[in-house]
Amino acid sequence: MTNWYEIPGNENDVVVSSRVRLARNLADYPFEPRLTPEQAKEICEKLKTIYSDGWTYTDFSTLSPAEKRSYGEKHLVSPAFAGKKTPCALFARNSVYIMALEEDHLRIQSIYPGLALDEAWHDAAEADRLLDENANVAYTEKLGYLTHCPTNLGTGMRASVMLFLPAYTAARGIQSLAAQLSKIGLTIRGMYGEGSSAEGCLYQISNQITLGITEEETIRKLETVVKQIVEKERQLRERQDKEALADRASRTLGILLYARRMDSAELLGLYTTLRMGASMKLLEGVTVTMADRMLVESMPGTLTVAEGLEDDSAARDKTRADVIRRILKEQK
Amino acid sequence: MLCERCGKKEATFYYKENVNGTVKTYHLCGDCAAEMQKSGEIQTGFGEDPIAKMMNILSGDDFFGGDDLFGKLIGSPQKTAERGKSCPLCGGTFHDFVKTGKAGCPRCYETFEAELLPSIQRIHGRTAHNGQAPARFREENEKKQKIAGLETELKEAIRTENYEKAAEIRDTLRNLRNA
Ligand SMILES: [Zn+2]
Ligand SMILES: [Zn+2]
Repeated sequence: MTNWYEIPGNENDVVVSSRVRLARNLADYPFEPRLTPEQAKEICEKLKTIYSDGWTYTDFSTLSPAEKRSYGEKHLVSPAFAGKKTPCALFARNSVYIMALEEDHLRIQSIYPGLALDEAWHDAAEADRLLDENANVAYTEKLGYLTHCPTNLGTGMRASVMLFLPAYTAARGIQSLAAQLSKIGLTIRGMYGEGSSAEGCLYQISNQITLGITEEETIRKLETVVKQIVEKERQLRERQDKEALADRASRTLGILLYARRMDSAELLGLYTTLRMGASMKLLEGVTVTMADRMLVESMPGTLTVAEGLEDDSAARDKTRADVIRRILKEQK
Repeated sequence: MLCERCGKKEATFYYKENVNGTVKTYHLCGDCAAEMQKSGEIQTGFGEDPIAKMMNILSGDDFFGGDDLFGKLIGSPQKTAERGKSCPLCGGTFHDFVKTGKAGCPRCYETFEAELLPSIQRIHGRTAHNGQAPARFREENEKKQKIAGLETELKEAIRTENYEKAAEIRDTLRNLRNA
């Protein structure tokens, strides 16, 4: 299966990925913390029969810590799920990953590269329909889908978009953007704040409320806002000194191509400059997708699994440099 | 600088996250950082790897499951008039709901609906679902609409003294209601 981050998506100069998650529960079972081991097993067995045709099943609790982490790093499962020690299962088909026994009985997720909220919603809804046809889903007409946490009642849906906003960040526009977004029921997450340097310039925007709003409205609102942010980010980029940017991006590429050891902190800074250069077509042969692949595939869990490493950071820094070089040399 | 959690050991760990403009920073000793990481209060990913840390925050719980926002909203359970009431499916009480901010099972919502609605409204601004429904509810809704339409037709048939048609509609209605 090709990973989402290996495929160039729409508007990928600014939009990294689009994701839709649905929280679903079976009506006749308590939520995860109150489940007996037998009930947990029953749920898993039931889901195995529902998600059988064309789906791959993984007993998540048998994976190594690095393998679990790698799923989290690729944004295929939530960090909470990646850290789980109790029995849990993962079902996968194309863009869809279903986390069984996370906090809710099911978290159905679909992830796409670039701006593709409709596609993600379509795929998640299709997996939801399979559940609906074969199980008694917890739902009331008044409160909608019943979830472990009342903050997810209603549609039980979180739609989110990951954005790359280096120009916004440099213009110190994120704080005011956050204030505006929270007024219209959207949430922005990221590592930003006073005095912070460009820490990756990646942000996640998602819907805050789920009750009293339809899935369609949620997606349209998020999409409209994201498109505005994309335009604004492009305008801000246009105002920058291209020659200076090209110089910085090319030097960065040089470091990435010739470094023999690369730690994560250094890579994060270099990634931002490289992705910016690639997205403005200032670097011949280096694409945005290469930059994203480089970031994801050099994260500790993924690196450890792919390269068969021991959990030792010095070796990881050397291997990380090798992996980066391999990806960037794919340029024509 | 000393660890802000235990106040004893030297802080060697700096953690910062930002959700909707609210910046939280922690200066912690290694032990406290490990404990908070274990309890899920902070998400640091793989050791202190900065990229993993960032990815964790980004991918973070966009389901807001991690905080006890709801528990705080409901406040202290003193206004639980029916203290003895417990959920028939999971045995949870309203006190349990308040303590954790989360339901014990789907049935808890029905059991404690009256107590919960004000807080649900404060979170979402609304208290009624307006989205997709499972098929069994969709069919139920369609049936209700069909019955309402037929009842109107029936009245009209009786008014115009079209008794043959009225009898026909009455049969259809009976079948629908018994289905
Ligand atoms: Zn401490
Ligand atoms: Zn219950």
